[in-house]
Amino acid sequence: MQEEEYRISLFKPTTQQALKNRNLIIQLFTVWAIAIFGFQILLKILEKPVPEDALIAFSAAWEKVKSGNADAADYVSAGQSMVQAMGKSTIKAHEYSALQDGVGWMLANVYPADELDDLQKDVHRLSALREQITSLRDEDYLEAKELIISKAAPALDIDQGTLLAQLLAIGLDGELMQISDENKSRIPDIMGLYMTHNRSVLTDTIFLGFPFHYFYTSVFLLLFFIGLCWFYCYKTDKLHARLNFLELEKID
Amino acid sequence: MKKLYILIFLFLPLLANAANDVTQLEGSFKVGPAIILIFILSLFVLVGIVFRAKDTTDYYAAGRGVSRIGSGMAIASNWMSAASFLGMAALMYGTGYHGLSYVVGWTGGYVLLLILMAGQIRRYGKYTAADFIGDRYYSKSLRAIGAVIAIVISIAYAVGQFGGIGLMFKWVMGINYPLAVIIGGSVVLAYTLISGMLGVTKNMQIQYVIIITSFMVPLFILTAKFDYFWLIPQLGYGSVVQDIVDGVQLTDKAGMFNSLGHHFALVPSPEYAMPWDPSTGQTFFQWMAIAFSLMIGTAGLPHVIQRFYVVPKARDARWSVVWGLFFICLLYWSAPVYSAFGKILSANPEVGLLSPDAIVVYTAQLGNVHPLIVGLLAAGGISAAFSTTSGLLVAGASAFAHDLYVKVINPAARPKTQMTIARLSTILMAIIIAAIAMLDLALIAQLVAIAFSMAGCTIFPLFLLGIWWSGSNRAGAKAGLIVGGTITLISLTYLIGARAGWMLPYNSFITYYLGAWYFAWIGAPLAIATNIIVSKLTPETPLEIRKFLIEKVHS
Repeated sequence: MQEEEYRISLFKPTTQQALKNRNLIIQLFTVWAIAIFGFQILLKILEKPVPEDALIAFSAAWEKVKSGNADAADYVSAGQSMVQAMGKSTIKAHEYSALQDGVGWMLANVYPADELDDLQKDVHRLSALREQITSLRDEDYLEAKELIISKAAPALDIDQGTLLAQLLAIGLDGELMQISDENKSRIPDIMGLYMTHNRSVLTDTIFLGFPFHYFYTSVFLLLFFIGLCWFYCYKTDKLHARLNFLELEKID
Repeated sequence: MKKLYILIFLFLPLLANAANDVTQLEGSFKVGPAIILIFILSLFVLVGIVFRAKDTTDYYAAGRGVSRIGSGMAIASNWMSAASFLGMAALMYGTGYHGLSYVVGWTGGYVLLLILMAGQIRRYGKYTAADFIGDRYYSKSLRAIGAVIAIVISIAYAVGQFGGIGLMFKWVMGINYPLAVIIGGSVVLAYTLISGMLGVTKNMQIQYVIIITSFMVPLFILTAKFDYFWLIPQLGYGSVVQDIVDGVQLTDKAGMFNSLGHHFALVPSPEYAMPWDPSTGQTFFQWMAIAFSLMIGTAGLPHVIQRFYVVPKARDARWSVVWGLFFICLLYWSAPVYSAFGKILSANPEVGLLSPDAIVVYTAQLGNVHPLIVGLLAAGGISAAFSTTSGLLVAGASAFAHDLYVKVINPAARPKTQMTIARLSTILMAIIIAAIAMLDLALIAQLVAIAFSMAGCTIFPLFLLGIWWSGSNRAGAKAGLIVGGTITLISLTYLIGARAGWMLPYNSFITYYLGAWYFAWIGAPLAIATNIIVSKLTPETPLEIRKFLIEKVHS
């Protein structure tokens, strides 16, 4: 071999084995890259920001609430939507707090005025109990929670036997009629942030119980990687056998 | 083996009496999990003694007599750390679909590792990454730099592991996090010093079986208990994900409660599954950058690459990747199940804020899984962190003692001195790691991702070009390292600056585009490009190196 022949490069194979190996690597690398990044790019291209139903209802009602033209149905609608947002487990503490104020405000607008003080006392009592209890199954605490559900849930047209009723009772805190201007202006942003999602046909198609894109990324891709590795090993073994390519068997 | 049976016999009655103490998510000392933990760690040491390596050669070549499946299990055990066991579920619990970028990154990288490196690394025939770098780039200083990088990566990787160990010790012992890190760190250090050189490959296989069993069993229980398809929980949880998107009403799963008495219900939460949801604060760019960085980091991690030196031949190195990846995927298919159940079981605001890094254990607790099984799960998490940390401490210590001290500083060092240096450096590394872990800088998986980006910016380009292009020379390698190292330093400075409250220039731009968990997306390509350009402009690689590449590595 001449000195200049002692040069190797993946892209300039000098032997039959290197050429076949180069081709196999490029093929597998391309398939691998498309499967991972190509799919995510497709997901990005197809996606559209889609609001949840609760956000659509909230947006319609909030405009009227802000302008002072809201009727009871608008307060109820906005209140229900905010309670739903409070159920999001990713919500940050200060945003939850703003929504608490918002829900209290909506409730105070539809609750009988002469009974509001009693409800306010019940809310304070529940808050105080929450600080004292050592178990969430404390009877007094559960009783106080049920009392608030029985009073507040009907006012916001929430069925007492639902998750929203539970969230409402847990979420009410502080002074029901008080909401800061800052929180008033923040609430639509918070609602938009937590209730708008990137969706497309790939996210809305169900496959084996999964949203398709989730199945593809969390289950299929991993299986595909194993398949690619198996294929590479199988083809390399076949290639080596065909070209009588012998590999070292001892550790240097 | 008789000792093993005696140990089991002694521990069983204690376990039977300790089943009733895991009643709260946090709280006091939990006897059952503590006993399971001690039992498992004792088992590892015992197995290490029974199958101990007779000498250094036996230690390095421990895989010679091991089957491909056995070798695959060892790769998986070596790989599955606290980041896999605890961290991935934590990320998906907190950021939903964004967390899957870590799943894809940590598995897809094995394809790169296989097709670009595994066989060639084995044929090159060096024991450590620093050995390869020093030899291929014919430079003592690069060998030293390679060793330092290997030590820094080992420390960065182990910080996340210490975080996981601290969290689990906190949970088991009911103590505060810093104290838990100190106690857990001391235990892992003692464990490493006792068993670091003992029966490594056999131990890794047993660790794998324990880790995967402890991780899988609660999944069957959770899916069966909450009426999902339980025969294959990794598929059955698809309906859980869809339920999270659509919401679960009280009537949908009537009579099903978490351990705190809350209904198995939640409001529609599409943010959990929809891609780069605005509420998670994560973007499409970050998803892609993380997946890419983790993949090239996988192909550049010293302790991963090192596994291929201990198999008999290059063909075994390739096939062991296939099996290793399969065993790894068993865990990676399962981790999202915990986050999905955790999402519903902790949905009620009354549950309060849970540490995402412990969500695997909390999910089992909230799902009313038997306390002993929860204990086994926690012990599995600690085992995963222990096996990886132990390997990292040994790798870091050998990089210091072998690659730096003997090969650079004191070539005449006697074996006894070398061993003392290795032990001292293990202790020093453990102290540094514990100190950083106590700062609680980020989630476990994110801390580990830093090590991947470091490896992607520094070691990956050197291996990739070193194997596949004979034109890459010493000057190119140094220039590439400077670029990769600079990007790493910038990113880490901004990470520390953000935690310390410093206002650095272009703060938001750099923390976004050079985020600490994914700076390799740009660092690696720049390091590779620099290496190529400088190599083209400087004297060619010596003939003997090129000959070696052609005759030993590629022929």
